[in-house]
Amino acid sequence: MTPQGIGLVARQEIRTRLRTGRWKALLVVWAVLVNGLAMMFRLALEMDDQSDFGHSGVPMFGGVLLAVLILTLLVTPALGAQAINGERERGTLAALQLTRLQPGDIVLGKLLAGWGTGLIVLLLTLPSLLLPVAEGAIGIGRAIVVLLVTGLLIGVSCALALGWSALLARSITAVLMSYLTVFGLLVGTPLLFTIALPFTAAPTGSGYDRDHPERVWWMLAPNPVVVLADAAPRLTRRTVQTPHGTFTESPPNDPLGGISREVRDIREGDKGYIDRNDRDEDAGPVWPYGLAFDLALAGGALWLSARRLRTPMYHVPRGVRVA
Amino acid sequence: MDGLGVEAHGVARRFGMVQALGGLDLTVPYGQVTALVGPNGAGKTTLLLILATLLGPDHGVVRIAGHDVRTHPRLARDAVGYMPDTLGVYDQLTVDEYLAFFAEAHGLPKDERPRRIRALLSLVHLDEQLGQPVHALSRGQKQRLGVARALVHRPRVLLLDEPASGLDPRSRVELRDLLRSLAAEGVAVLVSSHILSELEEIADRVVLVDRGRTVGEHAMADLAAATRSRWRVRSLDPGRLMAALAGRADVQPLPGAAEVGPLTEAEAAALLAELVAAGVPVTGLAPASGALESVYLAMTDDRR
Repeated sequence: MTPQGIGLVARQEIRTRLRTGRWKALLVVWAVLVNGLAMMFRLALEMDDQSDFGHSGVPMFGGVLLAVLILTLLVTPALGAQAINGERERGTLAALQLTRLQPGDIVLGKLLAGWGTGLIVLLLTLPSLLLPVAEGAIGIGRAIVVLLVTGLLIGVSCALALGWSALLARSITAVLMSYLTVFGLLVGTPLLFTIALPFTAAPTGSGYDRDHPERVWWMLAPNPVVVLADAAPRLTRRTVQTPHGTFTESPPNDPLGGISREVRDIREGDKGYIDRNDRDEDAGPVWPYGLAFDLALAGGALWLSARRLRTPMYHVPRGVRVA
Repeated sequence: MDGLGVEAHGVARRFGMVQALGGLDLTVPYGQVTALVGPNGAGKTTLLLILATLLGPDHGVVRIAGHDVRTHPRLARDAVGYMPDTLGVYDQLTVDEYLAFFAEAHGLPKDERPRRIRALLSLVHLDEQLGQPVHALSRGQKQRLGVARALVHRPRVLLLDEPASGLDPRSRVELRDLLRSLAAEGVAVLVSSHILSELEEIADRVVLVDRGRTVGEHAMADLAAATRSRWRVRSLDPGRLMAALAGRADVQPLPGAAEVGPLTEAEAAALLAELVAAGVPVTGLAPASGALESVYLAMTDDRR
């Protein structure tokens, strides 16, 4: 495995891809659509805004970012899920395997090409993501962290699609399985958590049962939305004076912060009454676990893909043509 | 270094319940074209995949240019050029981009690549297609591009799976000349094909395979001398011809001619002398089928 080999495969992949579809038109449509919707979302927010706390750039940033994350995760399977079995079907893979390129070169080159395309898709949404940063509503640190995490998650999705394309002989099945995997991470994890929660119920001693979400919080961790929201640095809190005392408060309209507080509460478990002041002294972040799990999954998919490309093949899976 | 580009002993390979190869032996010497002949399902493609280091054998020893494919697949791969029967190309690239990609993938030094690509294109008569997209090539041109790709890294062993299928007569002649000139340069060439008359013209040796085993390995020259085939005798006077042949049991009358045999070349020569002596005006005596075809048909006879 060499950087030259990986680069060669990636360049080849991007070049053939650029020449097949109407990529420029698609990317322009994507940029106009996403940024247009984001601006309209922003205008709607300003119409609605009566709060004296929190800039309307905050919900704009969070909302657009989550929408972009979900959309790009839905786009990426199409980029990678035909990378290997598509070449098998066209009969071009054997020619690659006969060169000095190693399985690792082919897999990482194809990952790089897909990931790069995914990052360009992300890059095109930057105008509406950076507007709140320019306005000062969102700190630069937060913007950098969330963009990095989003980029990583796009890479994870590409790697999973590539894994399916190496594992399954038919590219249509691989596309389907890639979508199901992304769907599983996005929707399956909260579903699983919701189903598992009642099973954690245990008697409290005072006559009724109580759920213990702290035993199943990890089911939510691999969710890309949770990882992204929880990884985002918190916004500055403000101090509020009320007749009952003084406490601090986070901006109420921050989707990322909201999700993050929610999952950290779940991880902490139901402790009965909690003083509002303690609310953020939580059980600790959830995202490192989720991100580690997702990265491990992606690493496994890449390893499996490279294994499947090793020659000479001693075991030929059903439906796979060697050349 | 011995004189063998490919050395295979007892090669066996099974796919599920199907025993594709059951202990096959094969040698391909340098500087010669060896033909691999056998009916469909005989294991030719499986064998070529194993020789090309794409597929591993269950049993047996395979050496390509002296390198064992099990222990040194990379060294073997560097020495082998392979063209599969169904050739896929990257349609979006131009002819020279396509070859440049494979030249780089094979690790050719950067300054050598343009020269190598030009040499290859002129070798396969695609100079004029330089810069054309691959999808604009005809089938024969694509096939030749495939040969150029297989030769990009100057392999000492060249394997071609059914290279002549779907080619027009001119492309076939060009392919034949190309393979002959490669052999003359010392490359060990192994060609599988169904077009037996074609192979007869390009091959020095023939290896016959059936049901995953080698059933014969011959030099083309010996084959023609040793095999018995049917001979066609043409005469100006078919009546006298038939009268002269009346004593034989193996005669089949044809319009203006007769088919006799099977005979060896020596027996055919004797028959001709006999006919001429009997005053039959013979205008032609030629084998009704090629030697290779006769051997092939004899081998597959029990299948009918």
